[in-house]
Amino acid sequence: MSTEINIKDKIKRNSSMFVNFVKSAVTASPKVQNNFLDVSAKVAETVLKIVKDADLVVDLNYKGKEFWSENRCKTACFVDGGVDKTSIISSAPLSIRAGSYVVKPDAISKREYFEESMVFLGDLYDPKNELYDFIDDDFEEDQMLNKKKDGARIIFEAATIVKHILLNKKFDYCFLHGPIEGTVMPFSVPGFPTFTKFAIENMFPFAVNKKTDVAARHFINVYLEALNYIKKGKFPIYGIVETSNSAPYVKNLLYNYKSQGKISDKDYNNFIKIIKKYKITDSHLLEIILSSGQALKPIEIKKQIQGFTVTTGSSWEDKMESFPKVFIGYIKTTDNNSPIRIESLNNSKNLIKDYEYILGTSRLLPNYGFPVGLNVVDKFAKIPNWMSKASRKYYATHLLRQAVKNKDQNTISLAVKILSKKARSWRNRPIGGITK
Amino acid sequence: MLKNSNWKSIGTVLGETFIDCFYFSLKNYKAKKGDIVTTDSKVPSSEGKIIPVTVWGKISTIESSNAFFPTEAAQELTNEDIDIRDTILPTTRDELICKVVILGYTKDEDKSSKLLPLIYPVRPAATVKYPSSEDVEALLISDLNSSHPIYIGSLLAREAVKIRIDADNLVSRHVSIFGMSGSGKTVMVRRIMHEMLCKNYPMLVLDIHGDYLGFIQKQKELYPDNKIKLFYPNLSVNSEDKEIIYTLIDKLGKPLTDPQKDFLNSLLEKVKYEGGSLLKYVKLLNQRSREYASEGSTSFKNIRPASMYVVARSLGQVAKKLENMEQTNFRHRKKMSKLKFVELADPATEPEKIISKGQLSILYLKGYETLPASAIVSILLENLFKHRQEVNEEIPPFLTIIEEAHNFIPSRSENKDDLPSVETIRKVITEGRKFGTGIMIISQRPSRLDETIASQCNSQIIFRMVNQRDQKATRDRSETLDVDDSKQLPNLANGQGIISGQVVNFSLPVQIKFDEKLINEDIGNENFIDTVENWDDSEAVKERQKFAQDFSDISDMDNRSAN
Repeated sequence: MSTEINIKDKIKRNSSMFVNFVKSAVTASPKVQNNFLDVSAKVAETVLKIVKDADLVVDLNYKGKEFWSENRCKTACFVDGGVDKTSIISSAPLSIRAGSYVVKPDAISKREYFEESMVFLGDLYDPKNELYDFIDDDFEEDQMLNKKKDGARIIFEAATIVKHILLNKKFDYCFLHGPIEGTVMPFSVPGFPTFTKFAIENMFPFAVNKKTDVAARHFINVYLEALNYIKKGKFPIYGIVETSNSAPYVKNLLYNYKSQGKISDKDYNNFIKIIKKYKITDSHLLEIILSSGQALKPIEIKKQIQGFTVTTGSSWEDKMESFPKVFIGYIKTTDNNSPIRIESLNNSKNLIKDYEYILGTSRLLPNYGFPVGLNVVDKFAKIPNWMSKASRKYYATHLLRQAVKNKDQNTISLAVKILSKKARSWRNRPIGGITK
Repeated sequence: MLKNSNWKSIGTVLGETFIDCFYFSLKNYKAKKGDIVTTDSKVPSSEGKIIPVTVWGKISTIESSNAFFPTEAAQELTNEDIDIRDTILPTTRDELICKVVILGYTKDEDKSSKLLPLIYPVRPAATVKYPSSEDVEALLISDLNSSHPIYIGSLLAREAVKIRIDADNLVSRHVSIFGMSGSGKTVMVRRIMHEMLCKNYPMLVLDIHGDYLGFIQKQKELYPDNKIKLFYPNLSVNSEDKEIIYTLIDKLGKPLTDPQKDFLNSLLEKVKYEGGSLLKYVKLLNQRSREYASEGSTSFKNIRPASMYVVARSLGQVAKKLENMEQTNFRHRKKMSKLKFVELADPATEPEKIISKGQLSILYLKGYETLPASAIVSILLENLFKHRQEVNEEIPPFLTIIEEAHNFIPSRSENKDDLPSVETIRKVITEGRKFGTGIMIISQRPSRLDETIASQCNSQIIFRMVNQRDQKATRDRSETLDVDDSKQLPNLANGQGIISGQVVNFSLPVQIKFDEKLINEDIGNENFIDTVENWDDSEAVKERQKFAQDFSDISDMDNRSAN
């Protein structure tokens, strides 16, 4: 009983679960609203019971000064990518880059350095049928553009880590801002363009002499190859995610318990339904269950799940199976924030030490509770405004040149139209009365 | 043309540039605020050609930031006592952004290095260079284009760059020197006086504290060819100074009613005076008013003898005060027995004794209250100015240096604008340029100065200033003081000042040369604790103490009660 009260208190104490409750108050049914607190508390209590039963909770050790004295000899690499957010109307992402921040605190020379792993302006994707074609539906076009941007960023980040591996960098740790393995399902849609040969050669120089036919240049194939390299990396590589909008850890944990016969199919299915109904995520639950400085040991999770409508029957269905499984764990770095998700492709032998290192680097951002090195590289990788401007100019020139080369008046007109097309803006709305 | 091949590259111009300024990214520790820097650029000529030029500018601000160092991290480092070098936080990503105020450009093909106003912005991404000290100095001298440059110190950011100011503008266009106590104003004035003495330019110093008496002590050694005279005030008046005399009596004496004031006015009309000491005249007035009162004189309509007596008493009080002030000044002079003080000559009849070629005249005003001091200064300057206005010019052009100027030219808000010196100095400063009667105003409280007079000063030399009102007043009254430089005012060290206006061509932070030899040794320092430690009562005090106890005992005995 006392545990339940304690958990209820924790929920009320401004947790993200409570924020979710407030949000639900607007949209959820009266029944859900009514039962939210009791159900959430019971779910949390049950999950706590299970993680304790599975011996997944660990207490991490962090003593500021002592920790850094011990770890000043470690070389850490932090990787993040950035995509130009202000693109003109077109299908192609204009500029993407991935940066690395490498630091060895006790190094006598070159204590720290930044590497701009790749800067890629212009056509990343194959321009055939891409550059001048508009999709009729604006919404679909936006969706496709966003996918292309995401795909480009994910592949750039992966390529950066692969490059470090291939260059035999002597890192003690490598951290990526984001999941170590992204879900590839969105990129399996028909018509998703392949990368250009030039782009592949730039991103993966090691693949220059490899077969780079059209199929091999599709995002899913390229990404799989990159992940296989990452899995073979000689240093621990972790992807770190601030918040989880889903509940992969809890769902998989319960699935394992169901598989082991520790819980019934019915209970499992009901539990999953409840989680969905109350929009309960890993972040919500673990924020309540874990205390600051505690972690959950990783469990192996399959990220690419077959059976979606878009992949069923397509050639990608089998490919999904080839993707490596991911080890997912959580660390609660501060009292006030949700735990951060730690992903890796391998189960580390020095898991506790690795997690303690992540905790230590996160304590340098005591309010945000996220590894400070990723915060540093995030700022470095962000594409500044001047670069966005330059890339827009580059793209406009490139587009017009191609159109003019074509000598077809309609194509030229279309190119001009593309360049001059602007999104509707509330500022441009007609003003009533006499305009001054 | 200045050689720029050896100038070191210290940074790169940032993306947006303007006609009056640009920003650049600075290499660590390669330049300081106030440094002069250059960048190569091109401007369109009037003939339509594109000509290569060197753009010169002054670093007005430097900002350092590390975008990669989160504020939160500082919190953890402090709380846990962690050395940042042990952590993964970046320590080498400081970004230095300098703002450069453009001074002008020089044409690369021209031999002269006169700065011209920039008409086209500098190129973004251009290299910023650090010119040699010799070249900066050469540019400043060439640009100043002065027939009589005088050396005052060095550029604050670069000791090797000597700074000179234009003496012609200094003596004709008026200068104000502001700064809090001990900031370096007097050092600056001494420097200017030294240079002007070497040029034989006559100067009159109104010295309240005796800050400039060092010139007398060092005359033989440093200025053998100059005359340096030390005057003590003599309040001599003549019939033309009736208004000043009336004001003095009115303000120094008892408050008078309207009939009493009428009597005083009539008295001044009736008792004629041929000129001479004011004290004697006041005594004469006192005597006459008593006579009129006792006689029951009917020559003053509607004024009763009682009123006349009141005026007589007031005149007696004025006379007493004037005597006291003379005595105080005398005592101060007596302390400096080595110095030869002479009575101030009559400026109306003997102006040449005060102002002559190569002469420095110091009027020692210590001991005088504001009003009499103001009257003395007013009468003195009024007469000297009149001599400069006259066709036959009995005296050469001269520079008047007014120390503690807020005593002589207070702001209207001080409610002292009826001081006679305000009107006189306003007149002299407004018309002085034509007649060669330049004025240098020195004050630690610029906000308390008469606005008209302060804004007539075309050049300013500003030292450390903490008071917000004074800072504002300084900025408001200067057209040329650089805004960013003015922000530096509270942080300037002793002897560091900002010069702007017509004596230089642009606002410059300067370290003033300190002339140690010109300090008045008799004034001593302000180490009062040492003074008390070494204190020995005077003979008179010792004598009094010798008998004091006896008298005290007698008094005690006398007061004993019967029991």
